[in-house]
Amino acid sequence: MTSTLKGITLKGSAEMVAEFFSFGINSILYQRGIYPPESFSRVTHYDMSLQLTTDSKLKNYLSDVVSQLKEWLFECTVQRLVLVITCLETNEVLERWQFDIECDKSAKESSVPREKSLKTIQDEIRSVIRQVTATVTFLPLLETPCAFDLLVYTDKDLVVPEKWEESGPQIISQSEEVPLRSFTTSIHKVSSMVAYKRADSV
Amino acid sequence: MDLDDDTAVLTTLKSFNSFISQSEPARASILTAGPPTLQGQYKRSLELLEAAEKFESKTRFLQLDQEKKQMELSHKKARVELEKVASDSTRELEHELDRSQELHWRIKRFEESEAEARRNLKEQQDHQRSLKKTLDNLNKRLEEREGRISTANQTISCLQDEIRELKLKLQGMDSTISSQGLEKEELQDKLLLQQRKYQELAQLCQSLQAAQSTCSEHVFKIKELERRLVLQEQDMSIVKTVKSEAAKVPELEKELKRLREENAFLRESRENCSLLKEEAQGLRRKLERADKTKEELLTLELDKEKLVAKLKAWENLGQSTGLSIKSPEDLFREVIQIQQREITLKEQNYALNSRLRGMERSQAELQSEACKQRACTVEEQRRREAQDSLLRRLQRRLLLLTKERDGMRGILESYDSELGATEYTPQLSRRVKEAEDLLQKTQSHNAEMEAQLTKAQEESGTFRLQLHTVEQELEELKRKQATATESRSTVSNEEVSILRQKIEDLEVERQRLEQRNSELEMQLEKGTLQGDFDQAKTKLLHFKMNPTAVAKQERQQEVDSLREEVTRLRELLRSMQESGAPDEGSVLGLSLSLPPSKEVLELRKQMESSELKNQRLKEVFQKKIQEFRTVCYVLTGYQIDITTANQYRLTSVYAEHMEDSLLFKKGSNGSMQLMETEFSKTLGEMVSLHLHHQKSIPAFLSAVTLDLFSKQTMV
Repeated sequence: MTSTLKGITLKGSAEMVAEFFSFGINSILYQRGIYPPESFSRVTHYDMSLQLTTDSKLKNYLSDVVSQLKEWLFECTVQRLVLVITCLETNEVLERWQFDIECDKSAKESSVPREKSLKTIQDEIRSVIRQVTATVTFLPLLETPCAFDLLVYTDKDLVVPEKWEESGPQIISQSEEVPLRSFTTSIHKVSSMVAYKRADSV
Repeated sequence: MDLDDDTAVLTTLKSFNSFISQSEPARASILTAGPPTLQGQYKRSLELLEAAEKFESKTRFLQLDQEKKQMELSHKKARVELEKVASDSTRELEHELDRSQELHWRIKRFEESEAEARRNLKEQQDHQRSLKKTLDNLNKRLEEREGRISTANQTISCLQDEIRELKLKLQGMDSTISSQGLEKEELQDKLLLQQRKYQELAQLCQSLQAAQSTCSEHVFKIKELERRLVLQEQDMSIVKTVKSEAAKVPELEKELKRLREENAFLRESRENCSLLKEEAQGLRRKLERADKTKEELLTLELDKEKLVAKLKAWENLGQSTGLSIKSPEDLFREVIQIQQREITLKEQNYALNSRLRGMERSQAELQSEACKQRACTVEEQRRREAQDSLLRRLQRRLLLLTKERDGMRGILESYDSELGATEYTPQLSRRVKEAEDLLQKTQSHNAEMEAQLTKAQEESGTFRLQLHTVEQELEELKRKQATATESRSTVSNEEVSILRQKIEDLEVERQRLEQRNSELEMQLEKGTLQGDFDQAKTKLLHFKMNPTAVAKQERQQEVDSLREEVTRLRELLRSMQESGAPDEGSVLGLSLSLPPSKEVLELRKQMESSELKNQRLKEVFQKKIQEFRTVCYVLTGYQIDITTANQYRLTSVYAEHMEDSLLFKKGSNGSMQLMETEFSKTLGEMVSLHLHHQKSIPAFLSAVTLDLFSKQTMV
């Protein structure tokens, strides 16, 4: 867990948000069945039980992406993170989980920690993840084999790191959008949203 | 010494007293001499005093001499004593020196002894250390020896254990050898059984294959027969239908006739029908035309009524307006008149307007002239005032000058009156000059002040002018505003209406633009929800080796491999089709040429492993058998070979010829019997003795070996 110092610093906030993304992505992959459920193991975090993958390739990929995300969160250059689920047979985008990130850039200049209790942030994160789990009830079933991808919207002038490349937005045609809860660490505000392809148009 | 001093003192005292006593009488004598004068007494006293003083000094001198002598004596004594003391001290010193030397010697001796003692100590310590070392070495050797002894004991125990173990092992080995021998026999029996079974199975297989081929031939025949059956049944059914149809023929002929008659009748009726249809169409068209004409009629009647109403209105117009209008020509005339009137009125209006504007312009010009005139008057007033002020100033100056002149006159008169003794004309003239200078200064000062005054007055005059002009302009503007508001009401009503229309149009456009703006914003929001982004500010990144790309690659590879397999299978099929009619042998061949499935691979692997095991077992068995046979040969002296089933040939080590051998046969009841050989014929005695009488084959064999051995050694 993050440090027990009073107040949230930019570094601590970036770590918390990156941790939330790591757990959130894992729970989405488990809930939507992208990877078989037996490849996940149960862990406890944020006072709730969550699923974490044990597949080594997936773990490596996620750790690479999340560590790069942490850097970008610390520099306040990332605007949005999107998890895109595509059907392998038709190469169509079926679902889009979008997380908008608003960064308070004044925290970069001043190093004074902000007053927000860790417990409230944890409660907010917990409610977001619970809502994600609940959304599975109304999302259409993914019957075909699917794969996922993580897209990051960053500032235009950012230097593209070695293992990354530019890509298209991968928008769903005829989508339904459902906004979800948001949480804020007083430096970073993360608002979530899920967009899925309308069932009648498939 | 003190006594001497005292004696000296006493002696001096005594002498002094004696002198005094001498002097007293002297004095007394002096006294009796008569009453000398004071001076003589004074002189005498002085002389006495001097004498006393001399005496005193002498005494002091003597005292001092004595003291000196005493001192010298004391000095000498002291010196003597000191010398004594010195000699004593020197003696003591010498004593001390001797003692010290002695002590030094002693110290040296002691030091030497100490050094020797230390050396001895060191030697003793070294000796001790060496002794200790030897002790340690001895201890170590002792320990080593003890250790060696213990290790030796341990090794002895170990060796004993090993010996026991080896014995046990030997026993075990013996038992295993025996068991393995038995196993080997069992396995050989099993092998034989397996071989027999294999042969039987092969025969069964062959019979099966033959049966299968006959079966397939039968099946083929059956299929052919079934086909023929089916064909026959079809023929039967056809025949039945044909028969039934043939029965129906006469009825059909009757119906044919009837139908032909009906046909002719229908044709005729058809022609009539077509005629009737044409008539009907013509009638329908007429109907439609009639309907249309009716409608037109209705509309025309309506129009007629409207026109009638209009006509009436037009006719009433004349009555309503009061003019003498009875026909449209009158209306026309009236309209023309009205228009002309309007035209004339408009012309008058325009003329009036132009006159108005001209009047206004002239008014404006007059006003400007009036302003200018006012300005001129004001200027004139100002000039007058200036001139008045000038006048006043000049009058003042005049007054001042007259006063000065009077003053100067008075001064001059005073100076003239004062002129008396002295001539102060130069002074007067000087004073006059000074006065004149003063005057001039004052006058210049005056002039400056007046100039400043005039400037100030001019400035004030100009300001007043400006004020006037500004006030006049204000008044003009007010008047203009008043006139403008009046004129606007007539002239600019049209402008106002035009402007209002423009305003309304602009408002409408604004609302439209606002709606469009809101729509675009909605679309933008929707787009951002869906994932659009501002290309100028953001860019989109993802990991190169992301799971979707990896999954797509794998899928592609799978698809490619499947396609390759499909093409290969198709080629195989084609080749099979080209080679000939499909029969089961080729199907089997197909199955052989297909890629082996997993089960087949596993079975093959199992087979290979079992074959390997078999081979290894065989090798091991052969080795063991060979060993056993050699050991038996060496230990017992006989080489035992199996010639045929249940026949054993024994060849001895000490046999004279290679062919000398004993043949034993195993009977059905399990007993061994000796067979006749050439060698056994030579051993008749031993045979009878050991086999017939003692009934012991081992004894016989050992007798034979002993006999042969003895023969060998003897030879």
